[in-house]
Amino acid sequence: MSLTDFHRFKELARQENVVFYYTGYFSQSIVTAMGDSLRLRLASLDASQTARRKLFSVFVEMAQNVVHYSADHLSASAAADHEIRMGSLWVGEADGQFYVVCANPISAEGVEHIRAKLEPLRTMTNDEIKARYKEKLRAEGEAGSKGAGLGFLTVARDSSNPIEFDFVEETDGKPFTTFYLKATI
Amino acid sequence: MQNLYIAPTSSTPEVNFQFDRHQLSLRGESYPENAHAFFGPIMQAINAYLPTLQSTQVTLDVQLAYFNSSSTKVLLELFGLFNDAAVAGNYVTLNWHYIEDDETILEFGQEVADDFTALDFNPCSLVE
Repeated sequence: MSLTDFHRFKELARQENVVFYYTGYFSQSIVTAMGDSLRLRLASLDASQTARRKLFSVFVEMAQNVVHYSADHLSASAAADHEIRMGSLWVGEADGQFYVVCANPISAEGVEHIRAKLEPLRTMTNDEIKARYKEKLRAEGEAGSKGAGLGFLTVARDSSNPIEFDFVEETDGKPFTTFYLKATI
Repeated sequence: MQNLYIAPTSSTPEVNFQFDRHQLSLRGESYPENAHAFFGPIMQAINAYLPTLQSTQVTLDVQLAYFNSSSTKVLLELFGLFNDAAVAGNYVTLNWHYIEDDETILEFGQEVADDFTALDFNPCSLVE
């Protein structure tokens, strides 16, 4: 990429009010560092305390999803600690609202599993999401989940609009599909 | 038994359990990479401490500005242990500190109070 292209890239991000963008390998220490940076940026922006807290919450849940579940990993795939996995994360502002978008590779089998979890959350009311969250909080952990199995519900709970998601097949021959998730605060 | 102190980090809270004074506190933020790994030794210490109590007044101060979903689940388990100790004849006060306009943390505290009725739940509003 030429430096002029970098400039176009930077200008596009500025025009689109991108507060923050990271792509690469995610580890917990990178999540923490990004979190610190995000908070500094938010402190200088005109956002309510509630919006900042919800944005931070959505950011952490999405970024930790990359650390735990992205199919492209540097750490051993079965590792429970010090995981390092590939993904991208954007925080931006559009029409006076903040959004967080996360992208990470998943296996082809993961697509239907994630779709089945997320599709119902798009049509549920906020009260229904909170009720499902309470139920799940008290339920036994789900097989294969490294956290509490509450991440997507937390993202949906803290979003003011229905969450959006998509799956895009890789064109470079890699056996991955990229999973995109967007939440608007 | 030995008191337990763990210094805070950006993603883990300060843990200050003064078992000799029956005053335990958690303060800061909680979004460790692995909540079970972080809270495991804390749960063990609590599990060793609670059976030693007899009609004891215990004060638990929780002042967490943010906790992620997996920490939320572990916190619920932890409060369950204190509720059992209260049912067994002890007195447990849970001082639940939350920032005034933070609905999420207040609501979670109220759920804890609804689930674990043996706890003396005391919401403490902090003005930011």
